[in-house]
Amino acid sequence: MNRLSRFSFPLVFAVVASGAAMLLAGSLPAQPGPAGKPAAAPQQAQKLSASAIQVERTETAEDLQVPEDFRISTYENVILQLEKTRKFKQVYRSGDRRAAEVPDLIIMRLVPQAFKEGSQKQREVTTVSGATSIKIKVTFAHRDGQVFLEKDIDGKVRFFGENLRATYDFAKKVAEVVNDNF
Amino acid sequence: MKTSSAQVSPEVVSNPGGFVRRSVRTAGVGVFVIAVLFAALFSPVSSGQPVVPQASGSNSISGVTCVIGCGSIKPNSKGTISVVPSGLEFATSKATADISTASIDDIFTGNQSRQDISGLGGTAVKAAIPYGGGRVLSLFSHKVEVLTVEYVDSYGGFHGAIFVLPEGQATAYKDLLVAQGARVNAHVEPPAAEEKKP
Repeated sequence: MNRLSRFSFPLVFAVVASGAAMLLAGSLPAQPGPAGKPAAAPQQAQKLSASAIQVERTETAEDLQVPEDFRISTYENVILQLEKTRKFKQVYRSGDRRAAEVPDLIIMRLVPQAFKEGSQKQREVTTVSGATSIKIKVTFAHRDGQVFLEKDIDGKVRFFGENLRATYDFAKKVAEVVNDNF
Repeated sequence: MKTSSAQVSPEVVSNPGGFVRRSVRTAGVGVFVIAVLFAALFSPVSSGQPVVPQASGSNSISGVTCVIGCGSIKPNSKGTISVVPSGLEFATSKATADISTASIDDIFTGNQSRQDISGLGGTAVKAAIPYGGGRVLSLFSHKVEVLTVEYVDSYGGFHGAIFVLPEGQATAYKDLLVAQGARVNAHVEPPAAEEKKP
């Protein structure tokens, strides 16, 4: 028994070491070398900067009825989350006159694309149905109206929480987009 | 020196599986009873008759939730909402938010329902009940009214505040604010969302 364990230890060690070596060798090509770095570099270079952003109030769509509390909650949550990112010195609200004095102002517009109001009770009882979702097109534009970034972002509440929580989820995703691009 | 040994019931020794099952069942029933008591204690009065504004102010209701948009007050804070001569006031134990009547651009009301047992504690209780008993508790809900107030600040910046009030109160508050001179645009109120039966 003792002799067996004496022989088995180097054997196990050899197997483990060779496995580790193979894993290491396999991972090497995936690591970006000096030639692979440019993939990340342009993203860094493309980061935008602006001292202030103005959030326009959530627009209304003719063919899409979004309740007013959802529109307001979306607008207010986006402002709260943008302030938390600390990417801008000032986050202006729609209609704020002070924004006119900022030379490098960015204007964010929120255009609802889809909306489905679920039910909290249905969600909690069935688990699989009753989700609330909202999909909004978010555009970032210069003062002259030139759009330089546009994304469709959705907010959802699937299991627990009230319907308006979908707007919080949406705002968190908007903040992620801002963090990635500014 | 005295020593004592724990007495083990011969029934437990002979059938340990049954003992565990009984214990789990007893614990489940216990949690269910606690949850039902919890629901009975914390369910709002609004399920019965409409809440009459309390006498603390001229027109004030306590236990109102400000979902978002109340200035420096954290979202989903509970407090007291009042209609004062200058406009609308929402106060918590820490801060107060004021919306002057002149600054109000529009007011919306809507009906919704809220779970009787909600929040982190309620969710934990529901999850703790075995055999899907938590889902039964999810069936208990009450109607609420949502008051959405749109207003502008001194720089012209647009704001929106959302309050959750007991059923029947949001419309009364809207009427009070309109009587004070708040602007309200003509808009078609969307039909009340019917609670879908699961």
